Amino acid sequence: MSAFQPALSAVMRLRGVTACLVVDEHDGVIVDSTLQFGMRGNVLAALLASLFRKARQSVAAAGFGDSAFLTLEAERGRVCAVGQGGLVLIAVADPRTNLGLLRVELNKARAGLG
Amino acid sequence: MQTAEAWVATPLRQFLDDARVRVAVLMNASGQVLGQAGFARSTDVMSACALAAAINATAGELGRQLEGKPFEGVHVAGRDQQAHLGVAPTPRGPLLLLSVFDEHTSLGLVQVFFEEFRARIAKAALAIDASAPQLAADFESDLNRNLAALFGRT
Repeated sequence: MSAFQPALSAVMRLRGVTACLVVDEHDGVIVDSTLQFGMRGNVLAALLASLFRKARQSVAAAGFGDSAFLTLEAERGRVCAVGQGGLVLIAVADPRTNLGLLRVELNKARAGLG
Repeated sequence: MQTAEAWVATPLRQFLDDARVRVAVLMNASGQVLGQAGFARSTDVMSACALAAAINATAGELGRQLEGKPFEGVHVAGRDQQAHLGVAPTPRGPLLLLSVFDEHTSLGLVQVFFEEFRARIAKAALAIDASAPQLAADFESDLNRNLAALFGRT
C-alpha cells in the first residue's frame, strides 16, 4: 500500500466520487489512484495535471499566491483538484456529491501529499 | 512539418497539434524517415533517425532479455527538455515516433496523444497499397530520396 492510499480512500468514501488520483503535476503521470472500472486514468491524469498546472500558474501570475483549488463543473459531474509539493490530488465526482465535504476532504488530504 | 509519404501527414499533424511537442520525427524501424517537424537540416534528421532506430533495437532486445517481450516506450528526461520514443505497429511494419518536448506539455500528455496517433497511423496504413515494399531494395537511395523530399534537394 502506498503512502497515499489513506488519503485516496478518505476521498473515495464520499458519495458520488468515482475516481481519485495522485498525479505528478509536471509529468502528468499517475503516482497512485483508485478508479471505477472502465475509467481511463492515464488520460484523466495527463489532461487534469496540465490544466491544474496552468491554473496554478495563472493564479500565481495574478499575484494571488501559489496554492489553488480547482473545480471544473460539467453537465454530468465535476472534477476537483488540489496541489502540494509537485503533486496533484484529483477527484472525479458525479453531481450528487456534496461539494463542501469533498473540498474539506481534499484540503485535508493535501497536507499529506508532500 | 514535412512528410516523405503523404499518408502519414494527417496523423502526424494531429499529434503535433495535440501533444504540443517541439520536435518530432517519424521513421520506420530501420531509421528511414517518413516525416518530421522542427528540424532545419537533413543531417540532423539523419542522425536522429539512426540513433532512434538504434535505441529502439536496444530497448527491444533488453526487454526481450528481461521480460520476454520488447520494451515499447523510451522516455529520457533532461533538465529543460525531454524525449519520448514510441513504437506504432502498422500493417506496413512498426513505425517509430521520436518526440522532443519542453515544459509546455508533459510526458503524460505525450503518451496519451501518442496512443491516439498509433490508432490513426495504423488506420491510415490500412488505406494504402499493402503490396508496396516496406523497405526498398536499395535502402540508401530510398533514404536519400526521403530526405530530399523533406528538405527539397535532389
